[in-house]
Amino acid sequence: MYRETGLVNSPPPSSQDDAGLLVLVQRGDQHAMSSLFDRYSKVVYSVALRVLRDPASAEDVLQEVFMQIWRNPDGFVATRGSLGGWLAVVSRNRSIDALRRKRPTESVDDIALASNYNLADEAERNNMMERARSVISLLPVEQRKTLEMAFFDGLTHSEIAEMTGDPLGTVKTRIRSALTTLRKAFTE
Amino acid sequence: MNTPKNIGPEDLALFAMQLLSKEEAAEVAAYVAQSDDARRELAQIQGDLAIYAHTVDLHSPPAQARERLMKQVAREKQAIPIDRPAAEEPANRVAAVHGSADESTSANESFGQLMGRGTVSSSYLTEDDLPKRSAAAKVLPWVGWAVAAGLAVGAGDLYHDRDNLYHERDTLHATVVDQATQLDHLNAEAGAARQVLDTLTDTTAMRVTLSKGKEAPTPQGRATYVASKGTLIFIANNLQPLPPLKSYELWLIPATAGSAPIPAGTFRPDERGNASVILPPLPKGVDAKAFGVTIEDKDGATTPTLPIILVGA
Repeated sequence: MYRETGLVNSPPPSSQDDAGLLVLVQRGDQHAMSSLFDRYSKVVYSVALRVLRDPASAEDVLQEVFMQIWRNPDGFVATRGSLGGWLAVVSRNRSIDALRRKRPTESVDDIALASNYNLADEAERNNMMERARSVISLLPVEQRKTLEMAFFDGLTHSEIAEMTGDPLGTVKTRIRSALTTLRKAFTE
Repeated sequence: MNTPKNIGPEDLALFAMQLLSKEEAAEVAAYVAQSDDARRELAQIQGDLAIYAHTVDLHSPPAQARERLMKQVAREKQAIPIDRPAAEEPANRVAAVHGSADESTSANESFGQLMGRGTVSSSYLTEDDLPKRSAAAKVLPWVGWAVAAGLAVGAGDLYHDRDNLYHERDTLHATVVDQATQLDHLNAEAGAARQVLDTLTDTTAMRVTLSKGKEAPTPQGRATYVASKGTLIFIANNLQPLPPLKSYELWLIPATAGSAPIPAGTFRPDERGNASVILPPLPKGVDAKAFGVTIEDKDGATTPTLPIILVGA
């Protein structure tokens, strides 16, 4: 509305790609940092909230993850793959660490991630989310629940096996099968 | 490297999710470190997990989370990197002061160049031309030169440091200016937004409905709605006054078949029949088929009561 009236003429910083914003963050540009936060905070917070089920703890994880970018942007540049995907995974791992009340288990450089999606683009991100939800909803219930317990609840395969009464091998296979189905759906 | 018998693709998935015991994780980590295939597969699994993470129901973080982060970012403002490799600096300085004769000579040359005297060359005097001196007498002048050279190199470093500091200061200044400009933009934008809202909601504002000829003005409303953001602005005029315990209520009729109308705010017109509903709480992403206005009890209703006073699609 205001852009149409010419009140604001400068291009929105959110139009920059992740790599460009990270370069600016490397130079200490706080505005670029706030753009990254605006772009990905919802996913990072939502994943943390799903794992921790506590808004205050989820906000702490959100803070911690983004401060890692600020303190060490070099660890995220290009070679790490998709920043959006990386952040989602790191948010989950940090949240699981918080759940287990243990120190972070990996450094920022430890996760290489293969991704073909431009998660910086909101439309593509939303499209990917919808597709992923659709694929997951079509998984056999056992696979879906097992993956959920492992990823979002941070239960080990032994704990899942104990809770469900399924053999260890079955639990591992279900997790693997669910991820394979998800990958196939996105590579077809 | 062949895959160890006890490590399968399933284990890589568990490893990626950090669900293995310490010993198991160490074993898989060692395997991954040595196998390109395992690293590729692990990256694929991390990609799969990233996609899966995005299936989570989305929630916006609290508004103060952004402020909190930016405050901490400002507190931990990064130093601008300086090109000179810091790790080598002390060693170079030590070598310049306490180094070998060759290094001292080199430092001498640098010192000479720095002082604009050309290279201190041995061609001026040969060893034979020099008077015979004791070992101490030979070394002492060199110590003096070495110390002087060290001081010169130190001065050079200080000169570079000063340049770097000037550069850093200029960069920081440019950043501050840039941020001040951005702040001005934001303030201007926020001020304009505030003016628009104030104008729309000001009870003393003059509101005029223009119509063709001398027809009596009829009740009408205009809804502006952005489904993706769940934002709605509704302005009505020429509304009939209501009994004290009644109010008008705006309804959003979802485009999805079978979905119930969503209440979008109650309002009462002023004495001239004008009313507005600005940004009522609405869910995001609900496409609207139509909007309607009904008369309800003062506090509103959860389902619309007929008749519909105003409707628009």
